[in-house]
Amino acid sequence: MNGLERILAAVRFQDLDRVPVVPQVFGHAARAAGLPLDRYLTDPAVLARCQAAAMEDYRADAVFALLDVNVETEALGSRLRYAKDSYPYVEHPVLERASAVGGLRLPDPRRAGRMPVALEAARLLRHAVGDRALVAGCVLGPMTLACQLMGAEAALFAAVDTPAAFEQVLDFAVDLALRFGAAQLEAGAHLCLVFEPSASPAVVPPGFFRELLAPRLRRLGAGLRDGGAVAGWLAIAGPIEPILPSFPACGVDIASFDYCVDPRRARAAAPRLGLAGNIRPLAFVDSGPEAIAEACAPVLDLARTGGVILSSGCEIPLEARPECVRALARAARAEGGRP
Amino acid sequence: MDANLDQLVVLLMDGDSAAALQEGRRLRAADGGGPRLVVAALEAAMDRMSTKCTTEQFNLLEIMLTGRAAMAVARDTFPEGAMPATKGTVVIATPEGDVHDLGKNLTRMVLTAKGFRVVDCGKDCPLPVMVMAVAREDAFALLVSGLISPVVPMVRQLRSLLRERGLAGIQLVAGGAALKQCTAEALNVDYVAGDAFDCARHLELLQAHRP
Repeated sequence: MNGLERILAAVRFQDLDRVPVVPQVFGHAARAAGLPLDRYLTDPAVLARCQAAAMEDYRADAVFALLDVNVETEALGSRLRYAKDSYPYVEHPVLERASAVGGLRLPDPRRAGRMPVALEAARLLRHAVGDRALVAGCVLGPMTLACQLMGAEAALFAAVDTPAAFEQVLDFAVDLALRFGAAQLEAGAHLCLVFEPSASPAVVPPGFFRELLAPRLRRLGAGLRDGGAVAGWLAIAGPIEPILPSFPACGVDIASFDYCVDPRRARAAAPRLGLAGNIRPLAFVDSGPEAIAEACAPVLDLARTGGVILSSGCEIPLEARPECVRALARAARAEGGRP
Repeated sequence: MDANLDQLVVLLMDGDSAAALQEGRRLRAADGGGPRLVVAALEAAMDRMSTKCTTEQFNLLEIMLTGRAAMAVARDTFPEGAMPATKGTVVIATPEGDVHDLGKNLTRMVLTAKGFRVVDCGKDCPLPVMVMAVAREDAFALLVSGLISPVVPMVRQLRSLLRERGLAGIQLVAGGAALKQCTAEALNVDYVAGDAFDCARHLELLQAHRP
Protein backbone atom coordinates (compact mmCIF):
# COMPACT_ATOMS: atom_id res chain seq x y z
CA MET A 1 0.00 0.00 0.00
CA ASN A 2 1.21 3.50 -0.64
CA GLY A 3 0.51 6.50 1.57
CA LEU A 4 -2.54 7.74 -0.26
CA GLU A 5 -4.12 4.27 -0.42
CA ARG A 6 -3.33 3.72 3.25
CA ILE A 7 -4.97 6.97 4.39
CA LEU A 8 -8.09 6.41 2.30
CA ALA A 9 -8.39 2.81 3.44
CA ALA A 10 -7.99 3.89 7.07
CA VAL A 11 -10.79 6.44 6.94
CA ARG A 12 -13.01 3.90 5.17
CA PHE A 13 -12.30 1.43 7.98
CA GLN A 14 -10.76 -1.03 5.53
CA ASP A 15 -7.88 -3.43 6.14
CA LEU A 16 -4.39 -1.91 6.26
CA ASP A 17 -0.76 -2.98 6.16
CA ARG A 18 -0.13 -0.49 8.98
CA VAL A 19 -1.63 2.61 10.55
CA PRO A 20 -1.04 5.71 8.36
CA VAL A 21 1.30 8.31 9.78
CA VAL A 22 0.73 12.01 9.15
CA PRO A 23 2.72 14.27 11.44
CA GLN A 24 1.38 17.78 10.90
CA VAL A 25 4.71 19.09 9.66
CA PHE A 26 4.32 22.54 8.14
CA GLY A 27 6.99 25.21 8.76
CA HIS A 28 9.02 22.69 10.74
CA ALA A 29 9.97 21.20 7.37
CA ALA A 30 12.03 24.34 6.69
CA ARG A 31 13.76 24.18 10.07
CA ALA A 32 14.53 20.51 9.54
CA ALA A 33 16.12 21.38 6.19
CA GLY A 34 18.12 24.22 7.75
CA LEU A 35 16.32 26.92 5.78
CA PRO A 36 14.76 30.14 7.04
CA LEU A 37 11.00 30.07 7.34
CA ASP A 38 10.44 33.23 5.30
CA ARG A 39 11.84 31.50 2.19
CA TYR A 40 9.66 28.46 2.81
CA LEU A 41 6.56 30.66 3.04
CA THR A 42 7.23 32.62 -0.13
CA ASP A 43 9.03 30.23 -2.51
CA PRO A 44 6.97 27.24 -3.70
CA ALA A 45 10.03 25.32 -4.84
CA VAL A 46 11.59 25.61 -1.39
CA LEU A 47 8.35 24.55 0.28
CA ALA A 48 7.95 21.56 -2.01
CA ARG A 49 11.55 20.47 -1.56
CA CYS A 50 11.35 20.74 2.24
CA GLN A 51 8.03 18.90 2.38
CA ALA A 52 9.29 16.08 0.18
CA ALA A 53 12.44 15.75 2.31
CA ALA A 54 10.40 15.73 5.53
CA MET A 55 8.09 13.07 4.13
CA GLU A 56 11.07 10.84 3.38
CA ASP A 57 12.84 11.50 6.67
CA TYR A 58 9.72 11.07 8.80
CA ARG A 59 8.34 8.25 6.59
CA ALA A 60 5.05 10.12 6.45
CA ASP A 61 2.07 9.24 4.28
CA ALA A 62 1.24 12.84 3.35
CA VAL A 63 2.76 16.17 2.40
CA PHE A 64 1.26 19.61 2.99
CA ALA A 65 1.16 22.42 0.44
CA LEU A 66 0.34 24.76 3.28
CA LEU A 67 1.90 28.12 4.07
CA ASP A 68 0.34 29.75 7.12
CA VAL A 69 -2.98 31.05 8.40
CA ASN A 70 -2.52 34.49 6.83
CA VAL A 71 -2.66 33.64 3.12
CA GLU A 72 -6.34 34.43 2.60
CA THR A 73 -6.48 37.59 4.71
CA GLU A 74 -3.29 38.92 3.07
CA ALA A 75 -4.78 38.28 -0.38
CA LEU A 76 -7.75 40.43 0.65
CA GLY A 77 -5.63 43.33 1.83
CA SER A 78 -4.67 42.73 5.47
CA ARG A 79 -1.15 43.93 6.20
CA LEU A 80 1.22 41.33 7.63
CA ARG A 81 4.44 41.64 9.55
CA TYR A 82 7.04 39.15 8.38
CA ALA A 83 10.00 37.79 10.30
CA LYS A 84 12.92 35.76 9.04
CA ASP A 85 12.32 32.66 11.07
CA SER A 86 8.83 32.76 12.52
CA TYR A 87 5.35 32.88 11.04
CA PRO A 88 4.04 36.28 9.94
CA TYR A 89 1.10 37.81 11.73
CA VAL A 90 -1.65 40.25 10.87
CA GLU A 91 -0.59 43.77 11.77
CA HIS A 92 -3.62 45.53 10.29
CA PRO A 93 -6.71 43.44 9.55
CA VAL A 94 -8.54 44.46 6.40
CA LEU A 95 -12.04 44.44 7.85
CA GLU A 96 -12.77 47.16 10.40
CA ARG A 97 -16.32 46.02 10.99
CA ALA A 98 -18.41 43.09 9.85
CA SER A 99 -20.80 45.25 7.86
CA ALA A 100 -17.92 46.34 5.59
CA VAL A 101 -17.62 42.84 4.15
CA GLY A 102 -19.72 43.92 1.16
CA GLY A 103 -16.74 46.01 0.07
CA LEU A 104 -14.48 42.97 -0.25
CA ARG A 105 -14.13 41.18 -3.57
CA LEU A 106 -13.19 37.54 -3.89
CA PRO A 107 -9.53 37.38 -4.91
CA ASP A 108 -8.18 35.50 -7.91
CA PRO A 109 -6.07 32.69 -6.40
CA ARG A 110 -3.75 32.76 -9.42
CA ARG A 111 -2.73 36.34 -8.66
CA ALA A 112 -3.62 37.49 -5.16
CA GLY A 113 -0.92 37.74 -2.47
CA ARG A 114 0.77 34.40 -1.77
CA MET A 115 -2.11 32.29 -3.06
CA PRO A 116 -0.10 31.51 -6.22
CA VAL A 117 2.71 30.20 -3.97
CA ALA A 118 0.30 27.71 -2.44
CA LEU A 119 -0.99 26.66 -5.86
CA GLU A 120 2.48 26.18 -7.28
CA ALA A 121 3.57 24.26 -4.17
CA ALA A 122 0.59 21.91 -4.63
CA ARG A 123 1.50 21.43 -8.29
CA LEU A 124 5.16 20.70 -7.53
CA LEU A 125 4.35 18.32 -4.70
CA ARG A 126 1.83 16.39 -6.77
CA HIS A 127 4.38 16.16 -9.54
CA ALA A 128 6.97 14.90 -7.06
CA VAL A 129 4.89 12.32 -5.18
CA GLY A 130 2.12 11.59 -7.66
CA ASP A 131 -0.38 9.29 -5.99
CA ARG A 132 2.21 7.65 -3.76
CA ALA A 133 1.26 9.94 -0.89
CA LEU A 134 -1.54 12.32 -0.02
CA VAL A 135 -0.94 15.89 -1.16
CA ALA A 136 -2.93 18.13 1.17
CA GLY A 137 -3.72 21.75 0.44
CA CYS A 138 -5.37 24.00 3.00
CA VAL A 139 -8.15 26.52 3.34
CA LEU A 140 -9.25 28.37 6.46
CA GLY A 141 -12.67 27.56 7.84
CA PRO A 142 -15.18 30.42 8.02
CA MET A 143 -14.77 31.24 11.71
CA THR A 144 -10.99 31.28 11.52
CA LEU A 145 -10.98 33.43 8.40
CA ALA A 146 -13.44 35.84 10.05
CA CYS A 147 -10.99 36.18 12.94
CA GLN A 148 -8.10 36.70 10.51
CA LEU A 149 -10.05 39.35 8.61
CA MET A 150 -11.21 41.33 11.66
CA GLY A 151 -8.94 40.34 14.53
CA ALA A 152 -10.15 37.63 16.89
CA GLU A 153 -11.59 39.86 19.59
CA ALA A 154 -13.46 42.08 17.14
CA ALA A 155 -14.81 39.05 15.26
CA LEU A 156 -16.11 37.38 18.40
CA PHE A 157 -17.85 40.53 19.60
CA ALA A 158 -19.27 41.10 16.11
CA ALA A 159 -20.78 37.62 16.20
CA VAL A 160 -22.92 38.79 19.11
CA ASP A 161 -23.33 42.52 18.47
CA THR A 162 -24.01 42.47 14.73
CA PRO A 163 -25.01 38.87 14.00
CA ALA A 164 -26.53 39.46 10.57
CA ALA A 165 -23.43 41.24 9.29
CA PHE A 166 -21.22 38.63 10.91
CA GLU A 167 -23.07 35.87 9.08
CA GLN A 168 -22.29 37.71 5.86
CA VAL A 169 -18.61 37.57 6.81
CA LEU A 170 -18.94 33.83 7.38
CA ASP A 171 -20.64 33.36 4.01
CA PHE A 172 -17.98 35.40 2.28
CA ALA A 173 -15.32 33.26 3.99
CA VAL A 174 -16.94 30.08 2.64
CA ASP A 175 -17.10 31.54 -0.88
CA LEU A 176 -13.43 32.41 -0.65
CA ALA A 177 -12.48 28.97 0.70
CA LEU A 178 -14.39 27.30 -2.12
CA ARG A 179 -12.61 29.38 -4.75
CA PHE A 180 -9.15 28.97 -3.21
CA GLY A 181 -9.78 25.29 -2.49
CA ALA A 182 -10.93 24.58 -6.06
CA ALA A 183 -7.75 26.19 -7.39
CA GLN A 184 -5.59 24.05 -5.08
CA LEU A 185 -7.40 20.87 -6.13
CA GLU A 186 -6.97 21.83 -9.75
CA ALA A 187 -3.27 22.46 -9.12
CA GLY A 188 -2.80 18.95 -7.78
CA ALA A 189 -3.89 18.70 -4.15
CA HIS A 190 -5.79 15.50 -3.36
CA LEU A 191 -7.79 17.33 -0.71
CA CYS A 192 -7.84 20.57 1.24
CA LEU A 193 -7.44 20.47 4.97
CA VAL A 194 -10.05 22.82 6.42
CA PHE A 195 -8.18 24.58 9.21
CA GLU A 196 -10.70 25.95 11.68
CA PRO A 197 -9.16 26.37 15.16
CA SER A 198 -11.36 29.35 16.00
CA ALA A 199 -14.41 27.07 15.89
CA SER A 200 -13.08 25.17 18.89
CA PRO A 201 -15.42 24.75 21.87
CA ALA A 202 -12.63 26.51 23.77
CA VAL A 203 -13.47 29.62 21.76
CA VAL A 204 -17.20 29.44 20.93
CA PRO A 205 -19.95 27.38 22.55
CA PRO A 206 -20.98 24.11 20.85
CA GLY A 207 -24.41 25.63 20.09
CA PHE A 208 -22.72 28.42 18.16
CA PHE A 209 -20.82 25.80 16.16
CA ARG A 210 -23.92 23.78 15.38
CA GLU A 211 -26.07 26.76 14.45
CA LEU A 212 -23.68 29.06 12.61
CA LEU A 213 -20.64 27.08 11.56
CA ALA A 214 -21.76 23.52 10.83
CA PRO A 215 -24.09 24.52 7.95
CA ARG A 216 -21.31 26.55 6.39
CA LEU A 217 -18.74 23.80 6.86
CA ARG A 218 -21.25 21.49 5.17
CA ARG A 219 -21.44 23.80 2.16
CA LEU A 220 -17.65 24.07 2.08
CA GLY A 221 -17.18 20.31 2.37
CA ALA A 222 -19.66 19.61 -0.43
CA GLY A 223 -18.03 22.19 -2.69
CA LEU A 224 -14.54 20.81 -2.14
CA ARG A 225 -15.81 17.31 -2.87
CA ASP A 226 -17.38 18.60 -6.09
CA GLY A 227 -13.99 20.11 -6.93
CA GLY A 228 -12.39 16.68 -6.76
CA ALA A 229 -11.26 16.30 -3.13
CA VAL A 230 -10.74 12.63 -2.31
CA ALA A 231 -11.93 13.21 1.27
CA GLY A 232 -12.92 15.96 3.69
CA TRP A 233 -10.47 16.79 6.49
CA LEU A 234 -11.40 19.19 9.29
CA ALA A 235 -8.86 20.42 11.84
CA ILE A 236 -10.26 22.05 14.97
CA ALA A 237 -8.02 22.19 18.01
CA GLY A 238 -8.97 21.91 21.67
CA PRO A 239 -11.79 19.99 23.39
CA ILE A 240 -13.85 19.04 20.31
CA GLU A 241 -15.72 16.11 21.83
CA PRO A 242 -19.07 17.98 22.08
CA ILE A 243 -19.03 18.94 18.39
CA LEU A 244 -17.56 15.74 16.91
CA PRO A 245 -20.99 14.16 16.34
CA SER A 246 -21.79 17.03 13.92
CA PHE A 247 -18.76 16.36 11.72
CA PRO A 248 -20.02 13.54 9.45
CA ALA A 249 -23.01 15.64 8.40
CA CYS A 250 -20.54 18.39 7.42
CA GLY A 251 -18.93 16.04 4.89
CA VAL A 252 -15.97 15.38 7.13
CA ASP A 253 -14.17 12.06 6.63
CA ILE A 254 -11.12 12.86 8.76
CA ALA A 255 -11.13 14.93 11.95
CA SER A 256 -7.92 16.04 13.60
CA PHE A 257 -8.21 15.74 17.37
CA ASP A 258 -5.98 17.33 19.95
CA TYR A 259 -4.05 15.89 22.88
CA CYS A 260 -6.71 16.99 25.35
CA VAL A 261 -9.31 14.62 23.81
CA ASP A 262 -9.21 10.98 24.92
CA PRO A 263 -9.08 8.76 21.80
CA ARG A 264 -11.75 6.39 23.09
CA ARG A 265 -14.10 9.25 23.91
CA ALA A 266 -13.51 10.73 20.46
CA ARG A 267 -14.42 7.38 18.93
CA ALA A 268 -17.54 7.13 21.10
CA ALA A 269 -18.60 10.60 19.93
CA ALA A 270 -18.11 9.75 16.25
CA PRO A 271 -18.07 5.96 15.69
CA ARG A 272 -17.51 5.99 11.90
CA LEU A 273 -15.35 9.07 11.52
CA GLY A 274 -11.68 8.99 10.57
CA LEU A 275 -9.67 10.37 13.47
CA ALA A 276 -6.19 11.87 13.12
CA GLY A 277 -4.29 12.55 16.30
CA ASN A 278 -3.47 13.15 18.97
CA ILE A 279 0.08 13.41 20.24
CA ARG A 280 0.70 16.56 22.30
CA PRO A 281 2.49 18.98 19.96
CA LEU A 282 4.99 20.23 22.54
CA ALA A 283 5.99 16.64 23.29
CA PHE A 284 7.94 16.79 20.02
CA VAL A 285 10.01 19.54 21.63
CA ASP A 286 10.21 18.73 25.32
CA SER A 287 10.29 14.93 25.43
CA GLY A 288 12.15 12.12 23.69
CA PRO A 289 11.43 9.33 21.19
CA GLU A 290 10.54 6.87 23.96
CA ALA A 291 7.96 9.23 25.40
CA ILE A 292 6.48 9.75 21.93
CA ALA A 293 6.25 5.99 21.41
CA GLU A 294 4.47 5.70 24.74
CA ALA A 295 2.08 8.51 23.83
CA CYS A 296 1.22 6.70 20.57
CA ALA A 297 0.00 3.59 22.37
CA PRO A 298 -3.62 4.71 23.05
CA VAL A 299 -4.01 5.91 19.44
CA LEU A 300 -2.58 2.68 18.04
CA ASP A 301 -4.84 0.76 20.36
CA LEU A 302 -7.83 2.60 18.93
CA ALA A 303 -6.52 1.97 15.40
CA ARG A 304 -7.12 -1.77 15.83
CA THR A 305 -10.76 -1.14 14.97
CA GLY A 306 -9.88 1.10 12.03
CA GLY A 307 -10.50 4.72 11.16
CA VAL A 308 -7.31 6.16 12.64
CA ILE A 309 -4.37 8.18 11.37
CA LEU A 310 -1.45 8.54 13.76
CA SER A 311 -0.70 12.25 13.93
CA SER A 312 0.09 15.17 16.16
CA GLY A 313 -2.81 16.86 17.93
CA CYS A 314 -2.07 20.06 16.05
CA GLU A 315 0.88 21.50 14.14
CA ILE A 316 4.30 20.07 14.99
CA PRO A 317 6.19 23.06 16.47
CA LEU A 318 8.89 24.68 14.37
CA GLU A 319 11.53 23.76 16.91
CA ALA A 320 10.50 20.07 17.21
CA ARG A 321 13.26 17.49 17.61
CA PRO A 322 13.43 15.42 14.40
CA GLU A 323 14.10 12.20 16.35
CA CYS A 324 10.76 12.73 18.12
CA VAL A 325 8.89 13.13 14.83
CA ARG A 326 10.60 9.99 13.45
CA ALA A 327 9.30 8.10 16.47
CA LEU A 328 5.75 8.37 15.14
CA ALA A 329 6.44 6.27 12.05
CA ARG A 330 8.52 3.83 14.08
CA ALA A 331 5.62 3.29 16.45
CA ALA A 332 3.17 2.70 13.59
CA ARG A 333 5.50 0.24 11.85
CA ALA A 334 6.07 -1.67 15.07
CA GLU A 335 2.31 -1.97 15.50
CA GLY A 336 1.65 -3.25 11.95
CA GLY A 337 -1.79 -3.68 10.41
CA ARG A 338 -5.22 -4.49 11.74
CA PRO A 339 -5.42 -7.97 13.26
CA MET B 1 -26.48 36.33 47.74
CA ASP B 2 -28.10 39.69 48.41
CA ALA B 3 -31.29 39.70 46.33
CA ASN B 4 -30.48 43.26 45.29
CA LEU B 5 -27.43 42.02 43.45
CA ASP B 6 -29.04 39.16 41.66
CA GLN B 7 -30.38 41.05 38.67
CA LEU B 8 -27.02 42.67 37.92
CA VAL B 9 -25.25 39.33 38.25
CA VAL B 10 -27.69 37.76 35.78
CA LEU B 11 -27.21 40.60 33.30
CA LEU B 12 -23.44 40.34 33.59
CA MET B 13 -23.60 36.59 33.06
CA ASP B 14 -25.70 37.22 29.94
CA GLY B 15 -23.10 39.69 28.71
CA ASP B 16 -25.77 42.37 28.32
CA SER B 17 -23.62 45.49 28.73
CA ALA B 18 -26.35 48.10 28.21
CA ALA B 19 -28.81 46.58 30.66
CA ALA B 20 -26.03 45.86 33.16
CA LEU B 21 -25.01 49.52 33.06
CA GLN B 22 -28.56 50.60 33.89
CA GLU B 23 -28.87 48.08 36.69
CA GLY B 24 -25.47 49.12 38.08
CA ARG B 25 -26.65 52.72 38.22
CA ARG B 26 -29.86 51.67 39.94
CA LEU B 27 -27.92 49.72 42.54
CA ARG B 28 -25.61 52.64 43.22
CA ALA B 29 -28.56 54.94 43.69
CA ALA B 30 -30.16 52.44 46.05
CA ASP B 31 -26.92 52.31 48.01
CA GLY B 32 -26.78 56.05 48.50
CA GLY B 33 -24.43 56.52 45.55
CA GLY B 34 -21.82 54.10 46.89
CA PRO B 35 -20.14 51.37 44.83
CA ARG B 36 -20.33 48.60 47.45
CA LEU B 37 -23.21 46.65 45.88
CA VAL B 38 -21.84 46.98 42.35
CA VAL B 39 -18.41 45.71 43.40
CA ALA B 40 -20.04 42.78 45.19
CA ALA B 41 -22.11 41.99 42.09
CA LEU B 42 -19.04 42.07 39.82
CA GLU B 43 -17.23 39.61 42.03
CA ALA B 44 -20.32 37.42 42.38
CA ALA B 45 -20.70 37.29 38.58
CA MET B 46 -17.08 36.20 38.18
CA ASP B 47 -17.52 33.55 40.87
CA ARG B 48 -20.62 32.22 39.15
CA MET B 49 -18.88 32.23 35.77
CA SER B 50 -15.94 30.45 37.35
CA THR B 51 -18.24 27.67 38.54
CA LYS B 52 -19.95 27.45 35.15
CA CYS B 53 -16.76 27.47 33.14
CA THR B 54 -14.99 24.44 34.43
CA THR B 55 -11.94 23.72 32.33
CA GLU B 56 -14.03 21.31 30.26
CA GLN B 57 -16.73 23.88 29.47
CA PHE B 58 -14.62 26.99 29.14
CA ASN B 59 -15.27 29.07 26.06
CA LEU B 60 -13.80 32.45 25.29
CA LEU B 61 -16.85 34.05 23.76
CA GLU B 62 -19.17 33.81 26.77
CA ILE B 63 -16.47 34.94 29.14
CA MET B 64 -15.49 37.83 26.89
CA LEU B 65 -19.09 39.02 26.85
CA THR B 66 -19.37 38.84 30.62
CA GLY B 67 -15.97 40.50 30.95
CA ARG B 68 -16.94 43.30 28.59
CA ALA B 69 -20.16 43.97 30.49
CA ALA B 70 -18.30 43.88 33.81
CA MET B 71 -15.70 46.36 32.57
CA ALA B 72 -18.44 48.68 31.27
CA VAL B 73 -20.11 48.69 34.70
CA ALA B 74 -16.75 49.13 36.43
CA ARG B 75 -15.82 52.10 34.22
CA ASP B 76 -19.21 53.67 34.86
CA THR B 77 -18.87 53.16 38.59
CA PHE B 78 -15.25 54.31 38.80
CA PRO B 79 -14.87 56.87 35.99
CA GLU B 80 -11.42 57.80 37.27
CA GLY B 81 -10.40 54.28 36.33
CA ALA B 82 -9.51 52.77 39.67
CA MET B 83 -11.52 49.74 40.73
CA PRO B 84 -10.84 49.02 44.39
CA ALA B 85 -7.99 46.53 44.41
CA THR B 86 -8.48 44.53 47.56
CA LYS B 87 -6.47 41.52 46.52
CA GLY B 88 -3.13 43.01 45.55
CA THR B 89 -1.29 43.83 42.32
CA VAL B 90 -0.28 41.46 39.54
CA VAL B 91 1.58 42.05 36.28
CA ILE B 92 0.40 40.28 33.14
CA ALA B 93 2.02 40.01 29.69
CA THR B 94 2.42 37.94 26.54
CA PRO B 95 6.13 37.35 25.87
CA GLU B 96 8.07 38.80 22.97
CA GLY B 97 7.38 36.97 19.72
CA ASP B 98 3.78 36.17 20.58
CA VAL B 99 1.13 38.62 19.41
CA HIS B 100 -1.92 36.63 20.49
CA ASP B 101 -3.43 38.47 23.43
CA LEU B 102 -7.02 37.28 23.62
CA GLY B 103 -6.34 35.00 26.59
CA LYS B 104 -4.29 37.63 28.36
CA ASN B 105 -6.99 40.26 27.91
CA LEU B 106 -9.63 37.93 29.19
CA THR B 107 -7.56 37.05 32.25
CA ARG B 108 -7.05 40.75 32.91
CA MET B 109 -10.80 41.34 32.83
CA VAL B 110 -11.56 38.43 35.14
CA LEU B 111 -8.90 39.40 37.67
CA THR B 112 -9.90 43.07 37.63
CA ALA B 113 -13.53 42.21 38.26
CA LYS B 114 -12.45 39.95 41.11
CA GLY B 115 -10.61 42.77 42.88
CA PHE B 116 -7.01 42.47 41.72
CA ARG B 117 -5.07 45.43 40.38
CA VAL B 118 -3.77 44.24 37.02
CA VAL B 119 -0.84 45.96 35.32
CA ASP B 120 -0.94 44.90 31.67
CA CYS B 121 2.40 45.00 29.85
CA GLY B 122 0.72 44.02 26.59
CA LYS B 123 1.68 41.51 23.92
CA ASP B 124 5.07 40.90 22.28
CA CYS B 125 6.58 42.08 25.57
CA PRO B 126 10.34 41.75 26.27
CA LEU B 127 11.12 39.89 29.50
CA PRO B 128 13.01 42.82 31.14
CA VAL B 129 9.93 45.01 30.71
CA MET B 130 7.83 42.50 32.66
CA VAL B 131 10.40 42.22 35.43
CA MET B 132 10.74 45.99 35.71
CA ALA B 133 6.96 46.31 35.95
CA VAL B 134 6.87 43.78 38.79
CA ALA B 135 9.44 45.82 40.72
CA ARG B 136 7.90 49.19 39.92
CA GLU B 137 4.33 48.22 40.73
CA ASP B 138 5.15 46.16 43.82
CA ALA B 139 3.31 43.20 42.32
CA PHE B 140 3.11 39.89 44.15
CA ALA B 141 2.71 37.83 40.94
CA LEU B 142 3.80 37.82 37.32
CA LEU B 143 1.40 36.13 34.87
CA VAL B 144 2.60 35.09 31.41
CA SER B 145 0.31 33.94 28.65
CA GLY B 146 1.58 32.16 25.52
CA LEU B 147 -0.22 30.65 22.56
CA ILE B 148 2.81 29.60 20.53
CA SER B 149 5.59 27.22 21.48
CA PRO B 150 8.63 29.47 20.76
CA VAL B 151 7.84 31.42 23.94
CA VAL B 152 8.52 28.38 26.14
CA PRO B 153 12.31 28.95 26.43
CA MET B 154 11.66 32.60 27.31
CA VAL B 155 9.29 31.72 30.11
CA ARG B 156 11.96 29.44 31.55
CA GLN B 157 14.28 32.45 31.94
CA LEU B 158 11.87 34.53 33.98
CA ARG B 159 12.75 33.02 37.36
CA SER B 160 16.41 33.90 37.08
CA LEU B 161 15.65 37.38 35.78
CA LEU B 162 13.40 37.99 38.76
CA ARG B 163 16.10 36.70 41.13
CA GLU B 164 18.66 39.05 39.58
CA ARG B 165 16.36 41.95 40.47
CA GLY B 166 15.93 40.71 44.05
CA LEU B 167 12.40 39.46 43.28
CA ALA B 168 12.86 35.80 44.10
CA GLY B 169 9.61 35.65 46.09
CA ILE B 170 7.39 36.70 43.21
CA GLN B 171 4.80 34.14 42.21
CA LEU B 172 5.15 33.09 38.56
CA VAL B 173 2.04 31.81 36.81
CA ALA B 174 1.86 30.63 33.19
CA GLY B 175 -1.17 29.99 30.97
CA GLY B 176 -2.32 29.87 27.35
CA ALA B 177 -2.54 27.11 24.77
CA ALA B 178 1.20 26.46 24.41
CA LEU B 179 2.29 26.97 27.97
CA LYS B 180 -0.41 24.81 29.47
CA GLN B 181 0.99 21.83 27.57
CA CYS B 182 3.98 22.05 29.94
CA THR B 183 4.36 21.28 33.62
CA ALA B 184 5.28 24.01 36.12
CA GLU B 185 8.63 22.29 36.62
CA ALA B 186 9.39 22.29 32.90
CA LEU B 187 8.60 26.01 32.67
CA ASN B 188 10.35 26.85 35.93
CA VAL B 189 7.21 28.60 37.22
CA ASP B 190 5.11 28.16 40.33
CA TYR B 191 1.85 27.28 38.65
CA VAL B 192 0.36 26.55 35.24
CA ALA B 193 -3.23 27.77 35.09
CA GLY B 194 -5.78 25.86 33.00
CA ASP B 195 -7.79 29.02 32.34
CA ALA B 196 -8.42 32.54 33.62
CA PHE B 197 -10.59 31.36 36.51
CA ASP B 198 -8.08 28.74 37.55
CA CYS B 199 -5.52 31.54 37.62
CA ALA B 200 -7.82 33.69 39.76
CA ARG B 201 -8.45 30.82 42.18
CA HIS B 202 -4.74 30.19 42.53
CA LEU B 203 -4.00 33.86 43.22
CA GLU B 204 -6.86 34.14 45.72
CA LEU B 205 -5.57 31.09 47.54
CA LEU B 206 -2.11 32.61 47.72
CA GLN B 207 -3.49 35.87 49.07
CA ALA B 208 -5.53 34.05 51.66
CA HIS B 209 -2.37 32.41 52.98
CA ARG B 210 -0.17 35.49 52.91
CA PRO B 211 0.94 36.74 56.30
